[in-house]
Amino acid sequence: MTENAPASMYRTDEGMGLWEHRGKVAAVGVGHSPTARRWDGRAETCVGAISLIALRRAIEDAGVDPAEIDGLVMDPVTTTGAYWPKGKPVPEEVTSAFNCTDNPLDGIAGLSAEWILKNMPELTGIDFTMYGPGCMSNAICVAAQAVGDGLANTCLVLKSWHNYEGRYYQGGANAGSDLPGTAALHALWGTPACYGTALQFAEYCRKYGKNHDMMAPFIENSRQNGLKFPEGYWASHRPEEITPEDYKAARWIAKPANLFDNDLPIMVSAAYLYTTAERARDMRQKPVYILNHAASNTRPRSLTPTLDEVEADTARTARKIYEGAGITAADLSFENMYDGFAQFHQFHIEGLGYRGMKFGEALDFYQTDISIHGPNPILPSGGNIGCGRSRFWMHTDCIQQIQQRAGERQVTGVKPEVAVSGGPMPLGGRFTVWSATPD
Amino acid sequence: MILISFDIDGTLTVGDPPGILPMDMVRAVKEQGCLVGSCSDRPISAQRAIWASHDIEVDFTVSKHMLPDVKAEFEADVYYHIGDREDLDRRPALEAGFEFLWPHEAADMPWVEGPDA
Amino acid sequence: MPKQGVVPDDLTRPFWEAANEHRLVIQSCVACKHLQHPPAPVCRVCGSDTVEWKEMSGRGTIYNYGVVHDCPIRLLQEDQPFNVAVVMLAEDPGIQMYSHLPGTPVDEVPVGAEVEVTFEATANGQMVPEWRVVGSSEGGEQA
Repeated sequence: MTENAPASMYRTDEGMGLWEHRGKVAAVGVGHSPTARRWDGRAETCVGAISLIALRRAIEDAGVDPAEIDGLVMDPVTTTGAYWPKGKPVPEEVTSAFNCTDNPLDGIAGLSAEWILKNMPELTGIDFTMYGPGCMSNAICVAAQAVGDGLANTCLVLKSWHNYEGRYYQGGANAGSDLPGTAALHALWGTPACYGTALQFAEYCRKYGKNHDMMAPFIENSRQNGLKFPEGYWASHRPEEITPEDYKAARWIAKPANLFDNDLPIMVSAAYLYTTAERARDMRQKPVYILNHAASNTRPRSLTPTLDEVEADTARTARKIYEGAGITAADLSFENMYDGFAQFHQFHIEGLGYRGMKFGEALDFYQTDISIHGPNPILPSGGNIGCGRSRFWMHTDCIQQIQQRAGERQVTGVKPEVAVSGGPMPLGGRFTVWSATPD
Repeated sequence: MILISFDIDGTLTVGDPPGILPMDMVRAVKEQGCLVGSCSDRPISAQRAIWASHDIEVDFTVSKHMLPDVKAEFEADVYYHIGDREDLDRRPALEAGFEFLWPHEAADMPWVEGPDA
Repeated sequence: MPKQGVVPDDLTRPFWEAANEHRLVIQSCVACKHLQHPPAPVCRVCGSDTVEWKEMSGRGTIYNYGVVHDCPIRLLQEDQPFNVAVVMLAEDPGIQMYSHLPGTPVDEVPVGAEVEVTFEATANGQMVPEWRVVGSSEGGEQA
């Protein structure tokens, strides 16, 4: 039975000093599945199947014998917000294509470690499995700690997403006539998912004298970078740019957040291979060393985070990131912090003090050269806005940039040596510091 | 004069997901002398690229909430919007004073008979 | 605006029952006096499981707002776009409540203005606290 990682595996507190495994764990393999907007109902495209593709590609990328892999860390929750309808029969042609577990929706509407192991017979050496639920940002923190602690030596990390027909969050309780009392305290007022972030952004604009139009260069840059990410949804399905004019003309979802401040839910899976720095030396790819991982468990005082709460916590997170990695903001070659919603991003990078940035300065920074070819690259992965919602493009990009194999996305204005990625939310994120060298 | 606004995704065959209305139909509507354009959640630059790639010269390309702007800009006897969503197509179209057609209703080009047919 | 009905659960029943009596109550820790909303089984500050419900004055100020144009709840979609404001209670500005601000025009929300609680019926008759700007002539049923 695979368990969720204990809270002790996340580095949540300030004052913990250098991470005890700093530079002793490395990422050595990356694998991505193809993307799809929604599941088409075929066995070979279900969330289990695309997970197998990603895992096998990561193993191949690292050039490791599958039998040598002894760990698997993953997120068993795969929903983008779409749930299997109650009473809908599970398609037999899908379940019959795989070795199933006791849960008939395993591999279709969720994913257990057991399902993976039943369907990857080549993984004969796994004796450590653990869940890092939430998103890839969580799972890679758990994997890094597990490898550092010696719970696994060569460990796969997996995050997958499923998406079905129907508009985002418009089924279930939202289509019903009643709400349970606790949910009603939030949900009665009909706010879409981006509302909380829009509120923080509204307060930010009032406090610092900024406006929504100032986000346009960030959105344009993100999509341009994403279109250089061949595995991304937009690059592979709809290679559409978002010009500043497109952005400004888009409809509001929850003003001041518009359609293009929101990311697109998709089906996709990614896997990484983590191992010890020692073992990494013999593998096919250049190791990317983990200098630290950090976490925020902060909760807002009441219904929705205030700007003060956001700024205090992003600053606190940055202190944890830098302390454990033994670096300062000046050491960052580039950043790949979360962006889905786009209006998260300025909070993250201001907290980091990226390029000396202070609170209230990110939108002015966006008006400068933030491209992959300049000295101050912003989100070279393109993130969720550039590639669709996965919450892992940013991690893949950090690995590939530092390995100098990011292709058209490769940053050229800086030498890619140290980077930080993570999220999702400013309150409640998980973060990783990546490095070309172990010290 | 008849003005026809097309949603793209879920409505036209080039949409994502594909709809049932082929680009040849849009071309035919244009040749009938109608004012034609798209009203979609796609970036406006992407809408223009789609029409250009099919060699169809449209009269407008607007975001989903901009049907009132279309009505203000173009004088026509009747305005139609064709789309596949209740909340994003039908309701805003009716609020903007457009006639609304689902794609399957539009396939037979009922405007040829006039708005009351 | 017609809101979905509310079915009170164990945690929130005192809140909803008070609303039916046109009273606004917020959970308070007996040990450390900390107010918390949404409610929880224990005090989020000191961990005490002895919490009570305290009646509030029904006064507050508008902290922030957004305008919802694409609402996930079917029942509210007819009324798009609409305001959703965040109100801070007079007793403790850290306690927030949402409001459609009945009587306030869309996107003309006076941030910082004083508001007072009103109560309106949801689809199943359960009353829910709403807020209106003090001095506003329109709005829901007054407390």
